Amino acid sequence: MTVPTTDATGLGEIERGAAPVHADDKRMINARTDVNQLLPMKYHWAWEKYLAGCANHWMPTEVAMQADIALWRTPGGLTDDERLMLTRNLGFFATAESLVANNIVLAVYRHLTNPECRQYLLRQSFEEAVHTHTFQYVCESLGLDEGTLFNAYREIPSITDKDTWALRYTQALSDPEFRTGTPENDRAFLRDLIAFYVVFEGMWFYTGFAQILALGRRNKMVGIAEQYQYILRDESIHLNFGIDCINQIKIENPHLWTPEFAREIRGMLHEACELEVAYARDTMPRGMLGLTAESCEQYLRFITDRRAEQIGIAPLFGQADNPFPWMSEAMDLRKEKNFFETRVTEYRTGGSLEWD
Amino acid sequence: MTASTAPPASAHGTAPPGLRVIRRDGSETTFDAGKISVAMTKAFLAVEGGSASASSRLHHLVGELTDQVVAALARHPVPGVHVEQIQDQVELALMRGEHHKVARSYVLYREQHAQARDTGPETATTDLPTVHVTQPDGSRVPLDRDRVETVLAEALAGIEDVSREPVLAELDRTVYDGITADELAQALVMAARTLVEREPDYSLVASRLLLDRLRAEAVSHLSGTRETPDQATMAQRYATYTKDYLSRAIDIGLVDPELATFDLDRVTAAIRPERDTEIGFLGLQTLYDRYFLHERGTRFELPQAFFLRVAMGLAIREVDREARAIEFYELLSSFDFMASTPTLFNSGTTRAQLSSCFLTTVDDDLDSIFGGYRNNALLAKYSGGLGNDWTPVRGLGAHIRGTNGVSQGVVPFLKIAGDTAVAVNQGGKRKGAACAYLETWHVDIEEFLDLRKNTGDDRRRTHDMNTANWVPDEFLRRVQADGSWTLFSPDEVPDLHDLYGTAFPLRYREYEQAAERGEIRVHRTVRAVDLWRRMLTMLFETGHPWITFKDPCNLRSPQQHAGVVHSSNLCTEITLNTQAGADGEVAVCNLGSVNLAAHIGPDGLDTDKLQRTVTTAVRMLDNVVDINFYTIPEARRSNLRHRPVGLGMMGFSDALFLQRIAPGSDAAVEFADRSAEALSFHAIAASSDLAAERGRYASFDGSLWSRGILPIDSLELLAAAREEGEFDVDRSTTLDWDTLRETVRTQGMRNSNVLAIAPTATISNICGVAQSIEPIHLNLYVKSNMSGDFTVVNPHLVRDLKQRGLWDEVMVADLKYFDGSLAEIDRVPADLKELYATAFEIEPRWLIAAASRRQKWLDQAQSLNLYLAGPSGRKLDELYRLAWRSGCKTTYYLRTRAATSVEKSTLKGTDGRLTGVPTGSGGNPAGSGPAASGTPAGSGIAGMELDLDPAAACSIDDPDCEACQ
Repeated sequence: MTVPTTDATGLGEIERGAAPVHADDKRMINARTDVNQLLPMKYHWAWEKYLAGCANHWMPTEVAMQADIALWRTPGGLTDDERLMLTRNLGFFATAESLVANNIVLAVYRHLTNPECRQYLLRQSFEEAVHTHTFQYVCESLGLDEGTLFNAYREIPSITDKDTWALRYTQALSDPEFRTGTPENDRAFLRDLIAFYVVFEGMWFYTGFAQILALGRRNKMVGIAEQYQYILRDESIHLNFGIDCINQIKIENPHLWTPEFAREIRGMLHEACELEVAYARDTMPRGMLGLTAESCEQYLRFITDRRAEQIGIAPLFGQADNPFPWMSEAMDLRKEKNFFETRVTEYRTGGSLEWD
Repeated sequence: MTASTAPPASAHGTAPPGLRVIRRDGSETTFDAGKISVAMTKAFLAVEGGSASASSRLHHLVGELTDQVVAALARHPVPGVHVEQIQDQVELALMRGEHHKVARSYVLYREQHAQARDTGPETATTDLPTVHVTQPDGSRVPLDRDRVETVLAEALAGIEDVSREPVLAELDRTVYDGITADELAQALVMAARTLVEREPDYSLVASRLLLDRLRAEAVSHLSGTRETPDQATMAQRYATYTKDYLSRAIDIGLVDPELATFDLDRVTAAIRPERDTEIGFLGLQTLYDRYFLHERGTRFELPQAFFLRVAMGLAIREVDREARAIEFYELLSSFDFMASTPTLFNSGTTRAQLSSCFLTTVDDDLDSIFGGYRNNALLAKYSGGLGNDWTPVRGLGAHIRGTNGVSQGVVPFLKIAGDTAVAVNQGGKRKGAACAYLETWHVDIEEFLDLRKNTGDDRRRTHDMNTANWVPDEFLRRVQADGSWTLFSPDEVPDLHDLYGTAFPLRYREYEQAAERGEIRVHRTVRAVDLWRRMLTMLFETGHPWITFKDPCNLRSPQQHAGVVHSSNLCTEITLNTQAGADGEVAVCNLGSVNLAAHIGPDGLDTDKLQRTVTTAVRMLDNVVDINFYTIPEARRSNLRHRPVGLGMMGFSDALFLQRIAPGSDAAVEFADRSAEALSFHAIAASSDLAAERGRYASFDGSLWSRGILPIDSLELLAAAREEGEFDVDRSTTLDWDTLRETVRTQGMRNSNVLAIAPTATISNICGVAQSIEPIHLNLYVKSNMSGDFTVVNPHLVRDLKQRGLWDEVMVADLKYFDGSLAEIDRVPADLKELYATAFEIEPRWLIAAASRRQKWLDQAQSLNLYLAGPSGRKLDELYRLAWRSGCKTTYYLRTRAATSVEKSTLKGTDGRLTGVPTGSGGNPAGSGPAASGTPAGSGIAGMELDLDPAAACSIDDPDCEACQ
């Protein structure tokens, strides 16, 4: 057995001459082994996600914005309600990606004591930067007011409410004195993972995706819709990485997941759902073709149940069907593009080719 | 039942201890398996009658099915399960057990109960939301549901397996209070579209709803009052309407006034109004968005008027204009043949630029380079696609005499070409598109390969321009021998670009020796294999540059007496001579495609019909040469001298399915051969007959045609230039080529080139068949284009599955889960899996074998896409070398798959594909949703690169886990 030595952050003194790490000794949290040794690997799922993230690499500037710019500038090209929805939607995402990045870098990274997971976190934080870049690119392309977009999280109450809710969990971890290792603190860490991976990226982003895809469905703002599809592809992995982390921590620390804690998490999901419903109303006070705040609420219940189930919580609402069956077209089915007309999103980086 | 759908047999009906059921009202109760048995027994009795109740078979069966449901629930990760989830499991168990009637009865039972709940006394008010429609004048009126029902009934009439309820239900989810009248019309179409994945015929319903909107829009626009004629009324009025439409279109300057001089009574009498209703939704939406003439956005051209306008435009110089216009109209409106997009856009209009493709060479001076941009802009303006040969432009580090400076190479100029293509977007109808070609020995080749990368200096990237390699045979020979390869700047090796066949390697070696002696300033030597791998890697990574082969394009060109083929075009199917300079040549090609699917009879290919179609089609294409409005003089001169056209085909896959030939089979390869042979034979004969009628093309003398060398004969020229092991092409023939050869020699040809198989990306959508020679992409997928996203279900497959009683909700869910592939769906019989194998499942060698057989017969080339499911460099290398050996002139896109896809949003439950750690502490793999329960994450689906094996994520600390024992 290795002696409990190393500082969990990886910043402790280097233990001269110590023996190599055993994969069996690696842990998600509170690892007692050196956290700087990627190999031998224990959590292959984390590494796979790192590779998948790299292979999915994209940049917002690859997507042509001409059609969007033309439509945005055409009087009557979008209805007033559609414009309102779009600006508030972008307003949420413009800073949301930064909050998620902050949480990774300033809270999660320090306490997740596993190098393969940290490898993914580094990839993910870069992807968050790419997403923030996307909103910068959209803002510049459409000539939107920077302040309206990037300050929305301080001006639109429903966005402020959401961000405040989530920020609490980052704040709980960011205290320099905070250490995992007690059940109470370990649960605080789990709460943060749930708040950001399950709620923020797994639930709140999804109303936003639905709104933009609903426009894209009608062939409106297709450049932004395409960018959201790229983001969605990235977020699908972020979300599932978070879920894998949570479930792996549960496996390693069964004592943390008490019935009371499960009830508390259920309550968190409930709150999160309500915050999002309020946001849906704020962004769509009157509704638009194919989308209303009510249908968004149903959709969010569907998503909440799904997320609950993924972390072992009983469904909250019993909303078994997606109220937006058209999403099948926008998200589920593989695409074949007309190469003359749209850019193909399915290419991937060639580093993975083997020649022998 | 087979392994992947059956739950473990060891469940023995024991529910997990303490499993709680969450009721609809949120309250909880303990789980009782008996309730499941009772509900199932009721469902069986409803189908099989009361007498079955005593049957021990039924008792046994219900017991077994109940066990399965309980087992599935035992895998449920949490102690609480919603009653709806239990019912989903029951439905699935019934479906998977092939008790379809019973399952249907159970579904019905659920629906009735659901409705009863919805309309129960506590919710006495109707739950339909009050929706008002905002009128153009701003006033609000309640939604007229009767009118909606009437329109819908018309759209549903005569189509099997579609009904009003799901459309109306979806409509209610789509509308909102305050919706505009126009949005309401859209909402109906959107509602019907959503159902296409369940039943492909909803596409026809959507199409008719769209047609209803279009009819009202067009007729009202012409009459100035709001009218909403139905299909039957329209059939009566079509001729009158068409005359009104023509006169309006001429008045506002859209249509050529000469069309009014036709005998309009005669031509409009030929209109077949019923053909409006035979256009699929994707086709009609595409036509509506981009093809139909409009006045400030309001469409007033109906489909048959559109086809007639195109036909009249093409017949304008014929002697009996009316008879020819009717002949052309018949061919187009029946979808037996379709003209290319530029012809459809512009024929009969005041700007009749009807050609599809232009090829130019850019010379090594600023005048030529900037003249090239100007040409590109003018050619692209009216929907032409461009192939630009950039090889003559000197490379990085080359000397510039005028300034005594050093050249930056060709890349910065390509950037401007790319930007020009973006700027000229063809009036929003189609993105301006260009492809830059560079020969493999150009010293800038490595930077050229990177042009489409999404990283690096953006000033040296062309995100919106296509790129292609122009590869000499000698390069592949060096790759084969693992030899070296020398890169040059063209200003120092000026004749290299014009040489091919045996002359190229001789000269190339001389230059290499000169470089070794220090007589050439700019040169660099690389390992040929390294460059080849880099070419393939970039192709894999960005889809570009494509790989095209210089030598076969030239050695088999009928026009080798009149110049050199310096590049192919935007879609790699055109191989014509180009020459730089003011008195040079810009090659032009007019394209059209035969719908092969429409020429399959009970005995296979209907050659008589094909001959008729091809003969008329070649005439239409030849007419284009004379009618065409040329935006630059070099194009006009070249086109009138050589008169090249390109007749191709589409619907190849449909033709295979209709004959029940699997795409990966010898029979498919044989059909590719014989269908291309027939197309070629009749097209050459038609062009030769036109020569007798109208005269030979000007540069005929000295051409391969004049020497009695037909495409099938020119294979020998290629074979002679290739070395041992470099040529492997079948040369069988079945038609009377000797006679035709003689006819061509004596009678001449009307066109220097006749055959080219284009991608038909858009016109195949209009005709509702598979693109070009492409295998089907997937059996269920989304097609994206400028008109948006469209769900496409393979209708041949659905018909077969229906016949075998296998088309149901579970099948749709499974198709979605497996990304449109049948391979992993156990319920699908093996013969259908083979027949409907998708592009990524067919061994690529079959596609190349079929392409090789087609290329035999073509005087130009074919747009050949290749598919690679997994990231293997070795396979990629083999694939492209095989294409070369098989005599292919060009290849087009390499299609690969994304590394990961997104979480499926509309399946019941999550698909668990992206997670690697089991949920909860039970240690069972995720994938608890009903539709996914039988398909554990990472079950090794063909083509899924992200194979997250749950075993690899096992909890090492958990002694109960048996995954590694």
